[in-house]
Amino acid sequence: MYSKIIIRFFIILSLFVSYTASAEKPNYVVGSGGTYRPFEYENSNKELEGFDIDIIKAIAKVEDFNITLINTPWEGIFATLDNGERDIIISGITITDKRKGTVDFSLPYFPAEQVIATLPHYDISSIEDLSNYTVGVVTGSTADTVVSKILGRNSSSIKRFDNTPLLLQELYEEGINAAVGDVGVVKFYMKMNPEKQFNLVYDNNFEQQFFGIAIAKGNTALQEKLNSGLKKIAENGTYAQIYQKWFDNSVPSLPLE
Amino acid sequence: MNFRWEIIKDYYPLFIEGGIMTIKCTLLCVILGTCWGLILGVGRTSHAKHGISKYLLLLLVQWPVRIYVSAFRGTPLFVQIMVVHFVLMPFLINPRDGLLVSDNLISVETARVLRTQYGAFISCVIAITLNAGAYISEIFRAGIQSIDKGQTEAARSLGMSYFSTMRKVILPQAFRRMLPPLGNNAIAILKDSSLGAAIGLADLAYAARTAGATYGSYTEPYLVISVVYWCMTFLLSLLVQYMEKRFAKSDSH
Repeated sequence: MYSKIIIRFFIILSLFVSYTASAEKPNYVVGSGGTYRPFEYENSNKELEGFDIDIIKAIAKVEDFNITLINTPWEGIFATLDNGERDIIISGITITDKRKGTVDFSLPYFPAEQVIATLPHYDISSIEDLSNYTVGVVTGSTADTVVSKILGRNSSSIKRFDNTPLLLQELYEEGINAAVGDVGVVKFYMKMNPEKQFNLVYDNNFEQQFFGIAIAKGNTALQEKLNSGLKKIAENGTYAQIYQKWFDNSVPSLPLE
Repeated sequence: MNFRWEIIKDYYPLFIEGGIMTIKCTLLCVILGTCWGLILGVGRTSHAKHGISKYLLLLLVQWPVRIYVSAFRGTPLFVQIMVVHFVLMPFLINPRDGLLVSDNLISVETARVLRTQYGAFISCVIAITLNAGAYISEIFRAGIQSIDKGQTEAARSLGMSYFSTMRKVILPQAFRRMLPPLGNNAIAILKDSSLGAAIGLADLAYAARTAGATYGSYTEPYLVISVVYWCMTFLLSLLVQYMEKRFAKSDSH
């Protein structure tokens, strides 16, 4: 009899403790599209992994909040902020002025360097050369912005795909003449598919663009939290560690002002 | 909700071209799908009474058609589009080692142009046609089987061959009964063409995805294209209604 009461007491107590613990630490729902290896992808346990995931985990640690990660398809990912399904989106999102009309961004956390991938028999050595060819990009990516500027955003020479693997398979099978994408993702694809090797063309004329963490418009409190977290992990070396884990030793210095 | 028209304004040429592409794709798929469905449907209903031809027909025509229809009705169209685009088409017209290119049926240059200029369109039309053919064949089968057996018997006893019985007696009557389901099918094809956006077919859905991703707002583009799709399917249903009336008239005298 007494033991039952004691057990009940402990159950209630533990519930109370866990409740107050979670009340102390705010919890944010983080959305990320899981098809952008090595930035974010789902492992075989259906957990999200990648550079972006490590970054947001590190920020959550230094800023002392909890996160719930949810794999969210890229299409419509911004709308999840507006309707409250997600608090934070970290998904290799390039900061652009047009998107700033819909969401707010944190400070930049990654320089998005673009590369042109082509098959050897095409004579492409700079972004200007792209105007003679059919060029593939990921819908709404940095590359999309850049190529849209050269070919015109309504041009039929631009073909847009859902994700980089799809884009690069299309390139391999010559559905497009060239593809423009993030260096990290393209290189990773070639590493995973040794039979599919492309010519990589770098061009200094690619406008420097950055990835940012997106939050709902006007959520300045959360924005400040993310920014201060970003500055902290950049200072204490966590950022460099994460960068080296996923890429190489050339850790970039971010414009964290 | 604040509706930002500038998103549509910014991309309106893409929306217009997308609309035209949707119509082109639908038109082609409806025509090709109906022809293909007719062939399959006639194959499915073909039968012979006697001897070895009965078994040959069963083995070489009826069963293959049955398996085809069940396979194409039993897998999602989206998956079929992916398979056609990333497996079948590269297998056939990949400039590097495609079957048609290696056999010199088409040149490497042609293959390249086909793949880069019309790749998504061809894949989409093939996939939707193959898929629609399976559904339409069943519409034809139902239509043909709904015509009274006596019609066939009468035609055959007049000395008409199987094919001219089909062409002159059965199909014209069956077609009238098949019009409403065929109209439904055309509407389904129009809507299903939106799946082609995933392989880069520049249709209406593609325009919406592009505009949506650029501005990070999907409200405006998808609302707009849903209205456009609705207008298109509404016009199509009016056309089918008109045709039903026309064909009903010819029946009354």
